[in-house]
Amino acid sequence: MSIVTVQLGQCGNQIGHEVFNAICSDIHGTHGLCSKKENESYRDACKERFFCEEESEVPIARAVLVDMEPKVISQTLSMAARSGYWKYDDRSRFCQKQGSGNNWANGYSVHGPRHKEVIMNLVQKEAEKCDRLGGFFTIMSMAGGTGSGLGAFVTQCLRDAFPTSFILNHVIWPYSTGEVIVQNYNSVLTLSHLYQSSDALLVHENDVIHKICAQLMNIKQMSFRDVNQVIAHQLGSVFQPTYTAEGGLHYSRNPLGDLMETLVPHPEFKMLGLRNIPQMPENSLAYSTFSWPGLIKHLRQMLIANAKMEEGIDWQVQPPRLGSSLPSSHSTNRPLHFNTSIANLVILRGKDTHSVDLGSFRDPSLYTSWLNPRDAFNAWKTPRAFNKYEKSAALVSNSQFLLKPLDNVVGKAWNMFASKAYIHQYTKFGIEEEDFLDSFTALEQVISSYTIL
Amino acid sequence: MSARHLSLIQGPSLSLCCSALISLCYVLFSIVFFFSDNQIRSVKSALWYHGYDRPELYRLPSDGSAGSRELLLAFSWLLHRLSLLEQLLARNRVKTGDETSVCTCEDDLPNSQKGITEIAPEYGLEDAVDVRYLQWLNGRLRFQWRSLHAQHQELCKLLHKIHLFTSGSHMDQILGHFSVTETDLVRQPENYKQLLQLLESETMQLEAFLEWKQLEPVYWQWMVMNQTDFGRCSFLDSNIADHFQRKIQESVELKLLDLTYLCAPKKNKMHGSCRLVFRSKHPASKTGFGRSVSKEHVSAVSATEVIRELQMREASLERELKQLREECRQRLDEIAEGLDGVICISP
Repeated sequence: MSIVTVQLGQCGNQIGHEVFNAICSDIHGTHGLCSKKENESYRDACKERFFCEEESEVPIARAVLVDMEPKVISQTLSMAARSGYWKYDDRSRFCQKQGSGNNWANGYSVHGPRHKEVIMNLVQKEAEKCDRLGGFFTIMSMAGGTGSGLGAFVTQCLRDAFPTSFILNHVIWPYSTGEVIVQNYNSVLTLSHLYQSSDALLVHENDVIHKICAQLMNIKQMSFRDVNQVIAHQLGSVFQPTYTAEGGLHYSRNPLGDLMETLVPHPEFKMLGLRNIPQMPENSLAYSTFSWPGLIKHLRQMLIANAKMEEGIDWQVQPPRLGSSLPSSHSTNRPLHFNTSIANLVILRGKDTHSVDLGSFRDPSLYTSWLNPRDAFNAWKTPRAFNKYEKSAALVSNSQFLLKPLDNVVGKAWNMFASKAYIHQYTKFGIEEEDFLDSFTALEQVISSYTIL
Repeated sequence: MSARHLSLIQGPSLSLCCSALISLCYVLFSIVFFFSDNQIRSVKSALWYHGYDRPELYRLPSDGSAGSRELLLAFSWLLHRLSLLEQLLARNRVKTGDETSVCTCEDDLPNSQKGITEIAPEYGLEDAVDVRYLQWLNGRLRFQWRSLHAQHQELCKLLHKIHLFTSGSHMDQILGHFSVTETDLVRQPENYKQLLQLLESETMQLEAFLEWKQLEPVYWQWMVMNQTDFGRCSFLDSNIADHFQRKIQESVELKLLDLTYLCAPKKNKMHGSCRLVFRSKHPASKTGFGRSVSKEHVSAVSATEVIRELQMREASLERELKQLREECRQRLDEIAEGLDGVICISP
């Protein structure tokens, strides 16, 4: 069961490359800490999922690379080939001779339709190479210009061409003090369009990753590569093979389907946040020991207090005490900073995962009133350690994690829209004011749904 | 019923029929029943589910101490109603591995829902379910369906590969390729023993079924004979009527056999299990290599249909033979008339 990755724009291509890198180095490592048989199953499952094995060559990533400029794609292709462990299919790329001016509307209304057939042909070819298509994983930035507009359009095309497939959009949330003036407009337009076509939006916030790099990873001179590697590590910890059923005999062959089913069956709630623990520089790993109770405790508090990483967690925030007589669905009796969840997925990798007590995640007070923990909480496990971490846990959460950032972005965009600033850049290419209003309405609906949990 | 029929029912035929029935049951079920409370209850509920509405059966005690006649009647009802034996044969058939289920029946949904009323049960506040939970469940169902769909597509893709790679290797020139079971046997030849056992068991069942089919009319007549004990049983009557009607129908069908080719073709509504078979497109077509190849469905047939068809064909061939013999005799008679002192005596 294979996932086809669609790397969109500069951001998508750079992150995509790091993701495949992280996955490949994980399966070639000797730190699996499990039996040889287990390691082989893991490796086979991973290869089926992400790579296509040709006769005598290195595995080829199941990916389509799309960008308006040729520079990033060529860099990505050559870096991958240089690794010696894997590479991309050279033909599986689309780019134009020159860029297109960082304009969302241009990407969505002009370049998208113009190049739709070529791009979809590439996707179709990759899809056919799979014995079983497990779905699509797109990587893109939310606030970029052409990449985001094109990405939103491509996602729509994917949905039209593959109506029964799972589509997961990985989006990079821009720095709140970002450089692009119209980034909030772009974000609003991207999000509202993706919400219609995709099944789930998995979000990484640049601000958060930046903090992780600075504080946890001790990186002084931060580059985009460092940021992307942290993101890749977090994604790898979610998408590497796991056993999704208690006592399962085989690694799951349907990761996207399993993910969707546990987290986003409700069409109004598609925003997913990701937390990972532990996160530290590689050279510190050898000197650190971890205990599962400690890791789980921290992860749970990160969820409840909406902490972005394992340092600086607010331990004061506690779930509301259940026992109020009215089964109300309003958040009036919930403490202000408490993060209510709809559904959570915890993924455990490494030593002694079978003995981990996850009872604290099954506390009903963590969840919204209309879903009980039996439906809302799931755990996936594997005894195979990931990326040199003896024990690691990831949390994919459909909760109010992104409520505040979303509200901020929509608020700022609305303020700009009120004075019609920069709108002409969009109307010039066919995105009218009405389209903006539709997008605002759609996102206000999402905000409202998440607020009244 | 004539006196001749009556005499058939008694005596050796009855015991022959019963022993055939018992041996058939033994072969098909291959278990010995020890009646337990649960078994009686589950038999009753299964009969109820299938629509058996004879109250005497449900009043039977749960220890299996009484009611063998009622059980016999219920069993006969199942035989008739569910084509029980054919279903068992189908289930115990050795699988090729190429099976898939097909349904091209027209969607009758709008009609079938006419009878369902829109009365929503009255829910108190305590029973209220948050609509978001229902939406959640609906979404899960949708995703599970998608996963199933993807799995099914994978199955077809892999089956295509097996058929493509084994094309031209099979003894059967028309089919040309191996089935999944056959391919598996090539890869793991030590499994032949198991396959052989299954095939032998299937053959035994088919033979037992044939034996049953020959004696079946006797069984029904015997049941009807005892009808007074059971009261009115419409299905028993219909079975006897069925039997004679079938004889009439067969002779009519024989006569109409030649006309079928002039009629409009029947719309093929497929439903049930089919075997997927590889057929390559016409080599002269322009479409790409190995890309679009069609699969034909070879429908599963029921044993009764095959028997009936073979019987019809046998009767038609016999008729033809009789006709040819007549013609021969006539010709010989003509020739004999022409010759002096020669007479023709037919065998």
